[in-house]
Amino acid sequence: MIGVAPALNGVIGALAQEGPAHAATAAGPAWAALIPALPLLGVVLCTLCAVFRVKNRLPAVLTVACLAGAFGLTVWMFLTTGHGTAVTTSLDWIRFHAAPGHEFVSSWGFFIDPLTCLWMLFVTGLATLIAIYAGEYMAGDAGAGYSRFFAAFNLFVFSMACLVMADSLVLLFLGWEGVGLCSYLLIGYFYKRPAAVAAAKKAFIMNRIGDVGLMMGITSTWVVFGTVEYAPIFDMISRGVDGAGNALPEWAGWVIPSLFTIGAFGKSAQLFLYVWLPDAMEGPTPVSALIHAATMVTAGVYLIARMYPMYVLDGTHWVLTLIAWSGAITALWSATIGMAQFDIKRIMAYSTVSQLGYMFAGLGVLTTTGAAFHVFTHAFFKATLFLCCGAVMHGFAGQLDLRRVSGLWSMRGWAVVTIAMLVGCLNLAGFPFTAGFFSKDMIIAECYVTPGMAPVGWVLLLTAGLTAYYTFRVFFRVFVGPAEFEPGDEAHAHGPAGDDHGHAAGAGTPSSVDSTDHSHGFHPHAPGLAINFVLGLLAVLSLAAAATYFVGGEHGWVGEMVHHSTAGVSGAALPGGGAVHADLETGAPGFLGYNPHAVMYYVSAAVGLIGILIAAFLHGPRGVGGLLIGSRRHAATSRADALLPVLGPVARGAQHKWYVDEVYDFLIIRPIWVIAHLFHLFDKLIVDGLVGLAGWLPRGMGGAIRPTQSGHLHGYAVGMAGGVAVLLLVVLLVAW
Amino acid sequence: MSIIEKVQYIWPEIAMFIATCVVMVLGLSPSLAIRRLCSPVCGAALVIAGLLAVMGPDTAPAALPHLMPYAKVIVAGVGLLLLLLLAGTVDREEESLIATGRARFNPLRTNRAEFYAFFLFSLTGVMLCASASDLIWLFLALELTSLPTYIMVTVSTRGRSHEAGVKYFFLGALGAATFLYGFAMLYGGTGTTDLSGIRQHFAEHGINSIAMLGLLLSVLGIGFKIAAVPMHFYTPDVYEGAAAPVSAFLAFVPKTAGFLAIMLIASLPGWGYGPVAGADGVIRDGLGAGASLPEALRLTLWVMAALTMTVGNVLALWQNSVKRILAYSSIAHSGYMLVGIIAGPVGERFIDNGLAAVLFYLLAYGVMNVGTFAVLACLEKSGGAALQSGARSTGLETGATTEIETVDDLRGLCRTHPAMGWTMVLCSLSLLGFPPLLGFMGKFPLFTAGIAAGEIPLVIVLGINSAIAAFYYLRLVAAPLLEDPSPASPPATPTPFPARPMAALLSAASVLILVGFAGVLMKQSAKAGETVVSPGHTAGRGASDGVAAWNP
Amino acid sequence: MLATYLPVLLILLMTITFATANLVITRLLGPSRAGGSVKSMTYESGMNPVGTARKRFNVRFYLIAVVFLVFDVEIIFLYPWATTFANLEPGSQDSAIWLGRIMFFLATTVVAYLYGWRKGVFKFD
Repeated sequence: MIGVAPALNGVIGALAQEGPAHAATAAGPAWAALIPALPLLGVVLCTLCAVFRVKNRLPAVLTVACLAGAFGLTVWMFLTTGHGTAVTTSLDWIRFHAAPGHEFVSSWGFFIDPLTCLWMLFVTGLATLIAIYAGEYMAGDAGAGYSRFFAAFNLFVFSMACLVMADSLVLLFLGWEGVGLCSYLLIGYFYKRPAAVAAAKKAFIMNRIGDVGLMMGITSTWVVFGTVEYAPIFDMISRGVDGAGNALPEWAGWVIPSLFTIGAFGKSAQLFLYVWLPDAMEGPTPVSALIHAATMVTAGVYLIARMYPMYVLDGTHWVLTLIAWSGAITALWSATIGMAQFDIKRIMAYSTVSQLGYMFAGLGVLTTTGAAFHVFTHAFFKATLFLCCGAVMHGFAGQLDLRRVSGLWSMRGWAVVTIAMLVGCLNLAGFPFTAGFFSKDMIIAECYVTPGMAPVGWVLLLTAGLTAYYTFRVFFRVFVGPAEFEPGDEAHAHGPAGDDHGHAAGAGTPSSVDSTDHSHGFHPHAPGLAINFVLGLLAVLSLAAAATYFVGGEHGWVGEMVHHSTAGVSGAALPGGGAVHADLETGAPGFLGYNPHAVMYYVSAAVGLIGILIAAFLHGPRGVGGLLIGSRRHAATSRADALLPVLGPVARGAQHKWYVDEVYDFLIIRPIWVIAHLFHLFDKLIVDGLVGLAGWLPRGMGGAIRPTQSGHLHGYAVGMAGGVAVLLLVVLLVAW
Repeated sequence: MSIIEKVQYIWPEIAMFIATCVVMVLGLSPSLAIRRLCSPVCGAALVIAGLLAVMGPDTAPAALPHLMPYAKVIVAGVGLLLLLLLAGTVDREEESLIATGRARFNPLRTNRAEFYAFFLFSLTGVMLCASASDLIWLFLALELTSLPTYIMVTVSTRGRSHEAGVKYFFLGALGAATFLYGFAMLYGGTGTTDLSGIRQHFAEHGINSIAMLGLLLSVLGIGFKIAAVPMHFYTPDVYEGAAAPVSAFLAFVPKTAGFLAIMLIASLPGWGYGPVAGADGVIRDGLGAGASLPEALRLTLWVMAALTMTVGNVLALWQNSVKRILAYSSIAHSGYMLVGIIAGPVGERFIDNGLAAVLFYLLAYGVMNVGTFAVLACLEKSGGAALQSGARSTGLETGATTEIETVDDLRGLCRTHPAMGWTMVLCSLSLLGFPPLLGFMGKFPLFTAGIAAGEIPLVIVLGINSAIAAFYYLRLVAAPLLEDPSPASPPATPTPFPARPMAALLSAASVLILVGFAGVLMKQSAKAGETVVSPGHTAGRGASDGVAAWNP
Repeated sequence: MLATYLPVLLILLMTITFATANLVITRLLGPSRAGGSVKSMTYESGMNPVGTARKRFNVRFYLIAVVFLVFDVEIIFLYPWATTFANLEPGSQDSAIWLGRIMFFLATTVVAYLYGWRKGVFKFD
């Protein structure tokens, strides 16, 4: 703490001068360390449970207790810190002399500002709720992998807390890798299934690609600033100097952000690195909800938001432009795939990628508030959606194909799930006055405000329509209409279904199974109390998140929070001054001549509604459930089937995820495979061969001259005399 | 130098000779108690000779002025180990027949007197090699070393040893003829047989063709004593044919004599003779102003060294008989030591002096070599009569037992006979040059001296060969240590001679303990390896101050 | 002049006397046996000199031959020593050394003789 104090004072001074963005910085509370410590305790306890072979749900109870405690502390931290910035150092972690008179320090300390609080609130809050849910969801594994699951779960929360609360990039990196590890462990939770193992591997490798970028970014930061701690870095950035006190090198403004962006792309499944996320759905659904929808995948957004001062260093903002475009493209791209999938969990996965695209676009168009707000709302409603999907999967023995399950609303015990699903879908679709509506709006509107970003806005607007369509496609197919179902393959064998739902769906001839077909003796079991409680609470929270838009400042509570953090984009904080956002009064680009902020509410609401109506028309059942325009009579068929031949290759392409995996396989995996085999051959023939030769050569030589040891006296005599003669001859010829 | 002056240097040899005469008569006594005195008398003689060597004059007017005490002491020391090991080698059956009353003492049938007498004769020969100041003396000393060994090989066991003895004798004669021819040409080229005289002649007149040919033939012929290529052929057959204690004797005694002789021969032109660039830029052999042996001699030794270690090692890889492995390894070790001869005394420090390295290595090799052979000598197995090709069952043998022979016989020895097993492991590792054992201490200065002398390619060959040697030495380590006793072969039983395991344990202990005294030994060998400045030298390479002024 | 050859004459006389005396004394003292094929051979104690040389014969002949060679060759060394020793100045250091040398040499001969004796090479049974 002592070592940090001078730097911190600098920050305080600088921030105080820079304006209202950073009102106050103080020494953080020491007990903040308890927030990551509690999940760590959970890890230990769950491990002990595993060691002592606990057969009941004790690990879940312990986990919920630890996480709830962490959440409580987070709330307390939020309340005590307010809008200030605090840094607390728990212990010296890494400290060594990097150069004469220059120390590399990375303490185990926490940087607590509103952005941290915002993230930690929904991370710990959602983690607690999902742990409760998982306690029931994973009950079938009690005694087997139950403790392992919750140990990894706790480890994830611990890592995420490190990532978010870190006061230095190194600690952030630790958390970053930690969440990656937990993601790997939890995706591969059903390690006996090859698909799960492959998915875990894929996620891990894809993340490593991104991590290289992050690591290089951290080292570059060290090179430029001579420290990896946030406080001094932000202080230097605000003063425009590097570690040595010289003016910041020009390259730092774009190289470091670019590298960080690569890391963020990996973790948040953007652009070329998104392919792991849909596959990650192999993990247990609570994991998908928490890690691969609500929290971990937003780490990329958090990273960029946290390092935002670095992103706005470069006056041309081309890195941000790149982020905006890649976000928009990712959003559209994965939305199109999501439209054509039949596996509801996968649809949600693609929608996650798509929504992350929105967040990146938001970051790219300088609305960190919009991005953070969307992260915040998305966390709730996407968790809700996933948990609903999980409930379906749980109840129907792993069935996730939307053509094989229909009319949950009319089944007994599924009301809460259906309502929660409806709330989630409305949020995701951007239905007016839902939280998702406001957060998405903010991003799209900001696109039209930022110069040159209008096309991004259009893409996102189109995507909003597609999102509404595919979201409600799921809802109309699965949750309303005639009650039909076909159990998944877990009815016969334990363990969640394999990933072949989508493939079976590709056949296009789903068998219609009516509700009378109970020949397998299968009865769907509706979710129990814990699941219903969590779903209900999350549904309420998803709706309530909208309320945060109306408290606080101009952009709501989240806006207020972001504004007071390092991610706050204020005119004064930008090197380019306040001219970044178009001055609407001077007639700079708007939305078709209107103030985007004003009209976007109506436009996006209309787009969302159109999407919902199309979904209702194509997939909705007859009657109120289909908004009176649907006509579906069976689970398996809908009007959309008629469109398939018309769309032809487009539909097929979307169904096959645009063959991205195949392209990767062809472009990257195959060549590497070939090269690897060549190298292997090289190793085997040349390297091994040389080693073998080294072993064989002396023996071979021995074998060759062995006949000279014939045991015959005259042979030896000739050998000796001849040897002397030859040797003398050689010596005489050479050296005489 | 008159004989009176010479006598002061050869008191150890005289003591040995007297003991030889005594032993020769004692061993033929009809009384068993008197016959048994042979071995103690030999031991006493060796101790006395060693003491005399230490007490004798420290410096002699020779090219290697301090060589004698060191050489004689290590010969006496390793000789004592060998003496322990040789217990019971001859007359084992005869004595048991006499003891059980089935036969009466017949001096013609026993070999004890001759065996121990020849043992001392041979060691006397080695000591005389160190004292040699004349070509004739050197020749006689070398032959005094070798001739008894021919007999020792032949009488050591029944059957195969006769063939080995005959081979050894004839090939030895060829070797002796070769270096005798060389000595004759040296005499022809320089007009003197006196080593100092030859040195002076070389220094004053250079080396003429006849003398050079004489040098080369001498070195090649003495190559037989050290089992160097192309004189190495006999080694495996003879070592295999002889009893293990005699093989151990062969691996040390003639080799030591040979190396001492080669040192003396090489010191005639000296290590300061080699090619130097003259003022005109032409590189030619210099008159004492150079930096190595004369080029032809250096090249001969170089080729011998490289071939010897390579041939020894690669052939050892193919062997399954431990004795043959050790025989080939003995060839290889001669190759290693030739590196030290080539390097010569580069500097005053121990690690720069190739001769000191060789002298130290001789001691180390003697000790660890005795250890490995002692393990073979200490254990025998029954029912192995068929293995001894030429052995006819005479009915006189006290049960058909043979020495353990193959690597398979060594398997699991650390469990069945821990002392023998660990001796094998330690001595094999030491032979391999495994740090920090004595063998490593010995091999290391060979490397450094080679490098100091700029013989980098040869040092690389040495390194590669050390690696190859690991292949078969590790077999000798792994078989007793890691493998299970072979169920197929009959179990080995200890031989009834307590002195042999004592020799084995002493060797194993020396391999460890002498490391602690390596400093002292290295100091002594460094002193022994010092050479005087050749006459006509303007700048000596390795002369120490104390003897630099001496001029013959 | 003639006196120079006197020693030769003396040796001749001594040889003849020695041989004759031996024959006579043997005749007088030795037991007389009936003649036989071996008894009538030139070298009675040796082997039949007629016939092929490649036949087995008693190894003892080797011992005799070796012993003979040892002593015979040693005696030969005495001649050059004797001729040189006579030229040395009596009482000088050199003469002492030379005397010492030959005494040492003769001592080894004695040792060899002792060895042969203990070994039993002189036993003919």
